[in-house]
Amino acid sequence: MSLVNLAHVCSHLQNASKARLGLTSIPVSKMHVNLVLGLQREGFLSSVTLGGVSPPKPFLLQTQPDPEELEHMAQKLKAEPWQAFNVDGGEHTEADLGKEKVEHVSVPQNPARRRLWLGLKYWNNEPVLKNMKLVSKPTRRIWLTSQDLGKITRTRESSYVKGLTHPGECMFLTTDRGILEARECVERQLGGMALCRVW
Amino acid sequence: MSVCRPARCLFAKATATATALPKATPQRSFHSSAPRAARRRRPHYASIKAEDLKQLSELAEKEYPRYDTSEVSLLEKQYTPAQIAAIKAAEATIDPKDVYMQGSTRDDAWRLPYADDLAEVDPVTDHPEKLDASAIPGKFYFREANEVERDANMARVASETLAKLYPDGVPEGQRDPAQQQQLEDAMEAAITQAALDPRSSYTGKNQAAIDSLADPRHSILAQDLPRLENRMARQTRRLSTDEEEDPREKQLLQYMGWTKSQLKKIRTKTLVAHGVVNQTRMGKIRSMYYLTIAGNQDGLLGVGEGKSVEPEEGRKQSIMSAIRNMKPVPRYENRTTFGDLERKVGATKVQLFARPPGFGLRTQHLIFELARAAGLQDLAARTPRSRNKMNVIKATWEALTEQRLPDEIARARGKKLVDVRKVYYGGSVH
Repeated sequence: MSLVNLAHVCSHLQNASKARLGLTSIPVSKMHVNLVLGLQREGFLSSVTLGGVSPPKPFLLQTQPDPEELEHMAQKLKAEPWQAFNVDGGEHTEADLGKEKVEHVSVPQNPARRRLWLGLKYWNNEPVLKNMKLVSKPTRRIWLTSQDLGKITRTRESSYVKGLTHPGECMFLTTDRGILEARECVERQLGGMALCRVW
Repeated sequence: MSVCRPARCLFAKATATATALPKATPQRSFHSSAPRAARRRRPHYASIKAEDLKQLSELAEKEYPRYDTSEVSLLEKQYTPAQIAAIKAAEATIDPKDVYMQGSTRDDAWRLPYADDLAEVDPVTDHPEKLDASAIPGKFYFREANEVERDANMARVASETLAKLYPDGVPEGQRDPAQQQQLEDAMEAAITQAALDPRSSYTGKNQAAIDSLADPRHSILAQDLPRLENRMARQTRRLSTDEEEDPREKQLLQYMGWTKSQLKKIRTKTLVAHGVVNQTRMGKIRSMYYLTIAGNQDGLLGVGEGKSVEPEEGRKQSIMSAIRNMKPVPRYENRTTFGDLERKVGATKVQLFARPPGFGLRTQHLIFELARAAGLQDLAARTPRSRNKMNVIKATWEALTEQRLPDEIARARGKKLVDVRKVYYGGSVH
């Protein structure tokens, strides 16, 4: 598990958002995938897609359901709102509401040619993800306990890690339950190795 | 070397007893001038010839003649015998010859700036006449008047005031409306004055003590200065309401849509002032540069620059531009920033840190001034790189005004955000 690649991802995402890119790609690894999913969960990214060297089709170019179909679905849901919740394993849902449109992306067989395509977000002409920095370094890993994280999330310094003082700052850690955000770790009383901080 | 000398020393004692030698003059002189006794004695009085003295006394007699009998009789009408005796004694002490010789009009720096024989007390230039309690004859006792006495006193005081306003008496018979109005106004004023007069509120047996209440000579307050009424005074008089109009300020008020009282609440402070030089082919043109901050101490902050050859002009420019540039500073709980801020201008980097309540403004002076003008109370700061004054101010201002607010961040990330600080302690935080 090299942190060098993660450092490259961090600086690449900073550069991409400075350049106001809408879509960018990073190399695929299990850690990268889990981290960007965490970023998407926190709202820093709009989309995460596994694909090849060429970018996936943007949402607007994907096949959309017809307006009639949408109207039919809306009427159906209004009459039977429980259909939205996959009642009885969703046996009748497909028949009642119509087939779900799923865009298939071709993923290369060769893992070396796979890329992770990330949709970047912008708000009020400002990137949502502006800064992304490593906490652990390739030569100096930092493990934090849940007590440390409790302090850090309350903006205090602990174990030589500065508190999360910037507005909306997040820190991601790799734990034995996967890659989690620092506040989630505090909630679940988990410690782990700090990966990066994002704000 | 002489051989005689030892021989003289040998016989010296014998010769000394035999003949008294004259006292030797001191070998060394201690003073550069001759001692006093050596000087020629000067007389105490100038030696004047008898005919000169006679001529002088004749001239003095002619200039300052003695009082003749008609003048003395006139003086007796004006003054008491004691005063006349005092006048005569005073005049006898001064020799008319001295007055003739030395008397002249003063031209020194301490002479009075106006021609006055100091016979009267002038209320403007002199100390006002003051009386103390010893000037009141009898017991100075008075008590609060009851309602009947008060009404009577008021009527008396008001009629006295009216009598002063109408020395020839109130016009009798049919009065035209203007006269009637004037009379009514005068009566109303007299009654108002009488109600405020202490003579109507207090009464007592000793009338002198009561009168002293309204006597300005007994008052510890200084008398009002007399109101000068002439064309010059009217033209130069300025009321506090009509201040001098600054065209730039007027323009600013129009631009901001403000009133003058709103503008007065803005605090401005010039933080940077230095000279700058423009090199032209004609030579160097020196001017002054000013950087001023403006804030209402409640979340508005502006920074303005001004430059002009005239120092006052440049300063005014910077103040006006600072007020015009004022922008809102978002404050957390009206006391500190939303999280840590960082801003870089040129080689200057400013880091601002939000701090808990009661922390204070622990920053360098420029950032302190900005924080105070913006109404921030808890803040820490670091300027780890260049500390150029102008850039520090600009960077701090930009950092404070361009904060990312938590609400905005939550909207951008599509998350829900709650400030739990307002949840605990029954919401009584801050």
